[in-house]
Amino acid sequence: MIELPLRLGPLCADGYNISRSGIRWLIQPGQYCRANQIFAYCNISLEPTGIRMSGPPPFAEEMELQVAFAARAAGRILGGAGAERGGYLSIRSVDVWDAGAVIAYIEAEAEPDVDLERLRLLMLAGRRMTGLADVHTGLLPGWHGRTRGWWCDEGEMPVSLLSLGICDATGVVIGEQCAFVEMFEAATAPTQMVFVPDHPLAPATPVLLDQLERKPAQFQAIATDMHRFLSDSTLAPTADDWMVSGALLSVLQRSPIQDSYSLLTPSGTVRTEPADAVLLSLSSEPQSILRHKSLGYHVQILRHHQAAAGPVFRAWLGSAFETVKRSIDDIHSDYLRLLDAMQAATGARALVINRMSTSGYEDISSYSLFDAPMSGTLSSIAAKELNLMLHDIAEHRDLVIIDVDAIAADLGGAEHLPDGIHQSGPIQAALRVEILHALEDLRPKMQLK
Amino acid sequence: MIYGFRLPTINPHMSGARIECIYAEPGNALKIGSKLFDLGVDLSSAFAQECPPISFFRVVLREPVFLRKLNVARGQLCELGELVALFSNEADESLSAAPVRDIRLTVAGIIHHDGLWTGNVA
Repeated sequence: MIELPLRLGPLCADGYNISRSGIRWLIQPGQYCRANQIFAYCNISLEPTGIRMSGPPPFAEEMELQVAFAARAAGRILGGAGAERGGYLSIRSVDVWDAGAVIAYIEAEAEPDVDLERLRLLMLAGRRMTGLADVHTGLLPGWHGRTRGWWCDEGEMPVSLLSLGICDATGVVIGEQCAFVEMFEAATAPTQMVFVPDHPLAPATPVLLDQLERKPAQFQAIATDMHRFLSDSTLAPTADDWMVSGALLSVLQRSPIQDSYSLLTPSGTVRTEPADAVLLSLSSEPQSILRHKSLGYHVQILRHHQAAAGPVFRAWLGSAFETVKRSIDDIHSDYLRLLDAMQAATGARALVINRMSTSGYEDISSYSLFDAPMSGTLSSIAAKELNLMLHDIAEHRDLVIIDVDAIAADLGGAEHLPDGIHQSGPIQAALRVEILHALEDLRPKMQLK
Repeated sequence: MIYGFRLPTINPHMSGARIECIYAEPGNALKIGSKLFDLGVDLSSAFAQECPPISFFRVVLREPVFLRKLNVARGQLCELGELVALFSNEADESLSAAPVRDIRLTVAGIIHHDGLWTGNVA
């Protein structure tokens, strides 16, 4: 057993100095940590060096910038003297990033070929839904319209995955602390995870297609129409009406599939292309969706999120939109259109989490009791037909099926997927392995860029 | 003979269910395959929760009977084991006797639809 200092290691931003706050601990002193387990973090900011860089500054939209730390080997972690500054000095960036600074010590077994003294860095960035959402504690705190985490060593280019799913994708990607720490621990290869939440718009394929194809003039027409309804309503809009309307407008004007990203790396700032892969949930495809009567765009707001709106917003949904039924053939067609549009816009590969298609809570002894088409009524039949639809698509498109149906059946659905959508930790861990495996296939292409 | 329908344990974590739809009325002669109720099982019903784990189930008859009495209304929450309805073999059989057994039925998971109480009335 040896005791070694844990040093920050290099981190650079072209044209900027990196400043950091004091260290904030996520463990007790002397706690044993697994290799790659995040145990502390700090906030960072970028200060111009005086050299003017062309274009907008990196991370201009991302007010949350943090770095979290893990050791490269398992061992007992002890805090370095003075690493934590306390008070606002553990929130505000007060120290210059010094690659040689020691923030902790580790008692570990010596491992040849591993630079134990150098910390692994998990970089975190959050784009707030509103600038008001400033929360000062924890990893990626506050309310974000997009969060991301990435990790790499010198000269490495991360492969990027954008998560556009609902709960069955969310927990797998962002994990229990909502900061990608499980993904970071599972993948030591250079990777970026990007997460866009399912509120206020759930990522059904018609919604994502609209976002990909929407022109600025069309967005302006949507904003004008929404403003007119809220202003002309006989009821006075409540604060909830305005907040949900604002959040919806914020999301409608973006197309996350086309976002490109700035990355801080040990070698300097890197600007990346849009995500190499996009993770979708088959469970986010509804059998009916709202379409605006005159402007033709779609919205899909999950029922529990609609409850956040006030009466005027709900009246707008009820009067300005019509409900459009979607058969499995319609969903199939929407998937093909989305995959083709993604391929044309960014070349991203689609990863799709399929649906759990069996339930231990049923006791169907005869299907003759149910009217055809049974996929219009029975959730297990609908799930099986949708799962088969994915296989049909995968024959002809770059689509990887993340098979939660098989994994849950293997581990036990009643124990690990009690409502068919919200998974246990073991299922999430298994799904992470599948997702990371699907990304491995993309890495050789990345090296060629 | 008199039969009862008591709210069954569909999911081991549930404490009750909501009557989402009622498809029959007292006096109706019901066949095998007749729909009786749609139920909503909300595992977070004890407190408000983001993305509540709600599942919907349809209860379908597996024997021909007359529906004689309904003890619930649409939207009502029922507890496990609560006597929801009474049935008989004959249309005018006296209900004074206790149910001899539970009615034979099938429970199947269903997709949310416009006729459900949750998401439409609620």
